[in-house]
Amino acid sequence: MSMIRNFSLGKGLCALTLVMLLNACSGTQHPENLYSALGGEAGIATITDYFIVEIANDERVIAYFEDTNVERFRYFFIEHVCMLSDGPCEYTGDSLVDTHVGMNVTGAAFNAIVEDLMAAMNKADIAIGTQNRLLARMAELREQVIQL
Amino acid sequence: MINNMRRNLSLLVLLTGLVLPWVYAHADGRIKGTGGVSSIGGAGGGGLIPWATLTSLASEEQRGFTAFATYTDLDDFTLDVVGGGVNFSDRLELSYARQSFTIKANDAEIEQDKYALKVRLAGNLLYGKLPQVAFGLERSHLRDPATARAVGAKDDDGTDLYISAARAWIDGLFHRTSMLNVNLRYSQANQFGLLGHGGDDQDTRVQVEVAAAMFLTRSIAIGAEYRQKPDNLNALREGGAADVFVAWFPNKHVSVTGAYVMLGEIAGARPQNGFYLSIQGAL
Repeated sequence: MSMIRNFSLGKGLCALTLVMLLNACSGTQHPENLYSALGGEAGIATITDYFIVEIANDERVIAYFEDTNVERFRYFFIEHVCMLSDGPCEYTGDSLVDTHVGMNVTGAAFNAIVEDLMAAMNKADIAIGTQNRLLARMAELREQVIQL
Repeated sequence: MINNMRRNLSLLVLLTGLVLPWVYAHADGRIKGTGGVSSIGGAGGGGLIPWATLTSLASEEQRGFTAFATYTDLDDFTLDVVGGGVNFSDRLELSYARQSFTIKANDAEIEQDKYALKVRLAGNLLYGKLPQVAFGLERSHLRDPATARAVGAKDDDGTDLYISAARAWIDGLFHRTSMLNVNLRYSQANQFGLLGHGGDDQDTRVQVEVAAAMFLTRSIAIGAEYRQKPDNLNALREGGAADVFVAWFPNKHVSVTGAYVMLGEIAGARPQNGFYLSIQGAL
């Protein structure tokens, strides 16, 4: 009995579920190129500068950057984001695995960095939808960064 | 109601005082909001059902603690819940909730204890290819079993088992971080156990629960939940329950959730709708 009474609501939720799944799957089709949405080279440079300040003030992660050459980090981070966002760049830096091996980056530290990047993009007035498009692409690289 | 609030507040303070020194919580290792809120059964989740996510923002190197108070005002009843949970290394969650269900007409009250555990078996809500999968157990103990016996429940107490899977898409619906959670629950509970377990008209013992949520901003999530419930009692009809909610996460340690809940018929009374307010603190 209760199965029948619940049916219409259940069906509605299934439909909602389907819509969510389809949207999630089709999340790669965008009218606007992500690189442009981030403000191109200048926009990505602004985000990167804010990002460096966020990291410098974040005691959860600053230890990981003790030996980091900030100028070099800035150059290659911009290049990497440019490439990830389908911009006109090729990433010429070391592989993510090579740059993070031996650092033992924890899941918590990775998330702290994600939060720092969110804060940087907020300061750069990047819309949340655009932020999420970039974050989703970066999240796929997590396995090349943590616990190495 | 006021008495309940005062008593719940004392219990909350007591729980916090007992648990906090024991776990020495420090949990900020996950992204804000991904710990969800506290369900009416105490387990981390949404409001109406547990989710595969573990309570607090503890990551693998951390321990987290949450305490919560929930007030639900329905047409003919109120349901007040107070409780807390501990998260060990984002692997094991233990939780407790005390539910006080009041019949407005005569001020009669049914109190119930919920003890629960949840284990994350695999996956991560946000990252990787697998959804986050968890196994959970919820033990219900009725402090006031008279009503359950009177309506024909087979047992005062009972145990629910569930398997839960949750997935969030960072770049989800409308480029907002979106989440889907599905539970399969084995349960004979009548009205969350408030009317005991099992009965003279035993229904299916496996139920489906679904939740969907979306973060409009980094701090505000909206969503909906549906919970199928068994209909085990000849004398009373029981149907599914649903809610739509808004949750606000002003920071990593506090959440406030408001919801409109539709709990269906309860104990022979008309379909029960009402408002739900829940506050959670996390360390």
